[in-house]
Amino acid sequence: MERTAASKPRGWRDLGARVSMVVPAVLIYAALLVVPVIYAFYYSFTEYNGFPHRVPEFVGLDNYRSIFESDDMTGTMVVTAVVAVVGAVAVNLAALGLALLLQRTNRFNTFGRVVMFYPHVLSALVVGFLWQAILGPQGVVNTMLEKVGTDSLPFLSDPDWALWSMILVIVWSLFGVQLILYLAGLQAVPADLLEAARIDGANRWQTFRAVTWPSLASTVTVAVITSGISLLKTYDVVVSLTGGGPAGSTKTLAYSILAVSFPQRDIGVASAQAVLLIVAAAVLAITVLVLRRRAEDDAESIG
Amino acid sequence: MKKTLTSAATVRVAFISLVSLGMLVPMYLLVVNAFKSQQEILANPFSPGFGSATFQYLADAWNNPDFSILKGYGVTIALVLCVNALAMAVCAPAAYVLARTPKLLSRLLLFFFIAGMFIPTQVILVPVIFVLRTIGLMGTMPGLILFMTATTIPFTLFVFFGYIRVLPRSLDEAAAIDGAGRYYTLWRIILPLMRPIIATVFILNSLSVWNDFASPQMILGPGSGVYTVTTGVYAAVGQYSTDYTKVFPTLLLAVIPILVIFIVMQRHIMSGLAAGAVKG
Repeated sequence: MERTAASKPRGWRDLGARVSMVVPAVLIYAALLVVPVIYAFYYSFTEYNGFPHRVPEFVGLDNYRSIFESDDMTGTMVVTAVVAVVGAVAVNLAALGLALLLQRTNRFNTFGRVVMFYPHVLSALVVGFLWQAILGPQGVVNTMLEKVGTDSLPFLSDPDWALWSMILVIVWSLFGVQLILYLAGLQAVPADLLEAARIDGANRWQTFRAVTWPSLASTVTVAVITSGISLLKTYDVVVSLTGGGPAGSTKTLAYSILAVSFPQRDIGVASAQAVLLIVAAAVLAITVLVLRRRAEDDAESIG
Repeated sequence: MKKTLTSAATVRVAFISLVSLGMLVPMYLLVVNAFKSQQEILANPFSPGFGSATFQYLADAWNNPDFSILKGYGVTIALVLCVNALAMAVCAPAAYVLARTPKLLSRLLLFFFIAGMFIPTQVILVPVIFVLRTIGLMGTMPGLILFMTATTIPFTLFVFFGYIRVLPRSLDEAAAIDGAGRYYTLWRIILPLMRPIIATVFILNSLSVWNDFASPQMILGPGSGVYTVTTGVYAAVGQYSTDYTKVFPTLLLAVIPILVIFIVMQRHIMSGLAAGAVKG
């Protein structure tokens, strides 16, 4: 009410100012993020080799069909799903567990937090190259194993091992961020409730179950969604750690789009894969939000 | 009772020490092996090798003809500064208007922006290439800056929105009564109050821009001859990943600036991240 009264004298000029303040952000965002998403949907129904003088040819669902019929590409999707699900679970369990251990602020714990967080400031590409030098066939670990006289281990050279090695590396580099989120969340757990639980004689697990966990609800939602989405688009570490191999065992969808379909000028297939990833990210976000909604409501009734 | 407590504390300290060790060993290996020859790395990767340490391999990596690391720093710093400046220049006014206009349209716009946070940005790079080609910016720094700005807009705008919304509205109204326009109010009244959140956003956006590999790789491409730190590392190390006298020194040079900044500003970076997450 007061607003209209206050802004009336300024009228059109104010409206103009407001519009001009929003437009640049909308323009950049729409042109380089929204339009490409629309293009991805459009190209995903066409056959197109990306040459400027060629017009994309409409082929309906052919690209999707060929993705789901090709073992190579369904394998890619399985790898992506395993990385996202196993990675997100491992990252969040490690982060929450260590956050509980590092809760109290003292020098030792602060040191621990910094040391666990620092890989986040390194790029995933560098992390991948570094671990390739550690786990590779001639890497540090295998050199040491040979020195001790044991057989070397095929961390990155055996298809059955490589995916798990890669997930290990991803968890190593990623859990520190979520650790910080959980530490921030733990700060917000109401101290009087913890105190009340202690007085009631609850043990640690009961306190965690009944007080800490419900109060952390919104933190868990944020941490799971952010880690899940960043794992879905795993690309850099694949490039530097394994190159998608051996035998495609670590080829994620993002890697397949940027390093296989695009260089092969399969714009239609690359776009269809991108659409699948966008849909997967949306499904993940919505599922987590819906699943957590109840828990968050509980948390609100507690807080 | 007391005894079990102390032993639990011992286990806790031991466990955290062990995890910390696991976090630090790769960095230790990176540092010590940057000064060793290939035979020495293969023979004794863990030895500090003070006796035979040499700066030769670091110097070689620094003078690599394929990739000048100094130029890489320069390009990446320019990229970080431009993306931050542009993202904030467009997001601060937009967030201000959206936060002060509680109408349906502005709520829809906000939602439209937030949806962008869930788009896995690297997978839309292929259509982005076509968009940039259409506007003639493919393979150029301005094109890369525009795209990376677009990817940081959802987060920046959302965090700014959350911050401005809780600033008292009476501030603007007082300014409006004094005859100040929207721009003047934003510049003289709102922005000075936003310093802490601007610092947080700057840190988080800088980290993601500095470390991005897919966007500069696809948009600049090897043809442009312009390398950021990440694409340069890829060019320098990619094919030679078993020549450790190349790998370790190049990686060390690539991470030194960001690690030094992290060690100096560690508290701000980590609390900024927590604050950003709570807001988001």
